[in-house]
Amino acid sequence: MTMEVDILELSERSAKFILSNASAAFANGVRRASLSDVPTLAIDDVNIYNNTSVLFDEQLALRLGLIPLTTDIEEFVPVEECTCGGAECPACKVSLTLSAEGPRMVYSGDLVSSDERVQAADQNVPIIDLKEGQKVVLEAIAHMNYGHKHAKWQAGVACGYKNMPIVTFENCDECGACVNECPKNIIHIGPNGAEISGDDILKCILCKLCASVCEIDAVTVSEDEKSFIFTMESDGSYTVQQLIINAGTTIKEKASRLGEILESL
Amino acid sequence: MLPVRCFSCGKVVSNVWEEYKQRVAEGEDPAAVLDDLGVVRYCCRRMILSHVELVDTLAPYQ
Ligand code: SF4
Ligand code: SF4
Ligand SMILES: [Zn+2]
Ligand SMILES: [Zn+2]
Repeated sequence: MTMEVDILELSERSAKFILSNASAAFANGVRRASLSDVPTLAIDDVNIYNNTSVLFDEQLALRLGLIPLTTDIEEFVPVEECTCGGAECPACKVSLTLSAEGPRMVYSGDLVSSDERVQAADQNVPIIDLKEGQKVVLEAIAHMNYGHKHAKWQAGVACGYKNMPIVTFENCDECGACVNECPKNIIHIGPNGAEISGDDILKCILCKLCASVCEIDAVTVSEDEKSFIFTMESDGSYTVQQLIINAGTTIKEKASRLGEILESL
Repeated sequence: MLPVRCFSCGKVVSNVWEEYKQRVAEGEDPAAVLDDLGVVRYCCRRMILSHVELVDTLAPYQ
């Protein structure tokens, strides 16, 4: 059977969809790829010229690193994979500058990028609260890299899935115990006894409380092993749509590289 | 300063802090404000609920 994708919700930063007729290994591959194998840009080198703020240089650099930067996966490559061979060219490095004097709050939007395509994804991330007379002057250098190297390069946020729940009721005597027990309040008494209507089944967390409370064992809870309810969020470096596509592309590339290696053996 | 991202899931949370602080000070229910600001997972919510602002305490000793 061919794989099917049924989109439940899709916005710029988050998506919810059902992936069916796929194996658990593939679903997990997509999840892992979007967390760790889709490269993004993040600040990982900071030259500090002046910092009289309350934060140490290292803390300031950490805050800068964690700010998501908008990334175009076609335009940039990680330094190790770049044709410049590690010399750092505009295809693998972007420099941003920050210069501010207190009293004021410095935001991610105050970073001045040398490349207009690369900006802070959220302009309102507070970096440091400068008091009267305090100053910060620095140059931040962003490189492209992978989420498995450091969380600052992680493009996907809270990517996860659960199996499609299957809850069936048989010979129910309508006592109503499971209705009250379900923590998600999705069971109700219908014309043929207890039931779950429509899309409510997607909310089931497979806790099996309904099955354990039913005295006549009328409820069975199981899961569809070939169908997955995915939730994904992007940190803002990409839209979530690009993130999923990029994750798919990464898996494809890895698979074909493996194929090449096996053939050359 | 509130950490930029949630320690557990990686969502950027520090950009809601100022609005959260202001709205709670005006008497709104913290849970409703967090829902409204899109901070729905409990890992992200604890980042904000357990945060102690120290910048003003440290500033005089700089
Ligand atoms: S398994 Fe849990 S969440 Fe699902 S229907 Fe039963 S009680 Fe409700
Ligand atoms: S607990 Fe069992 S018998 Fe009672 S309503 Fe639920 S399914 Fe029916
Ligand atoms: Zn290069
Ligand atoms: Zn979180």
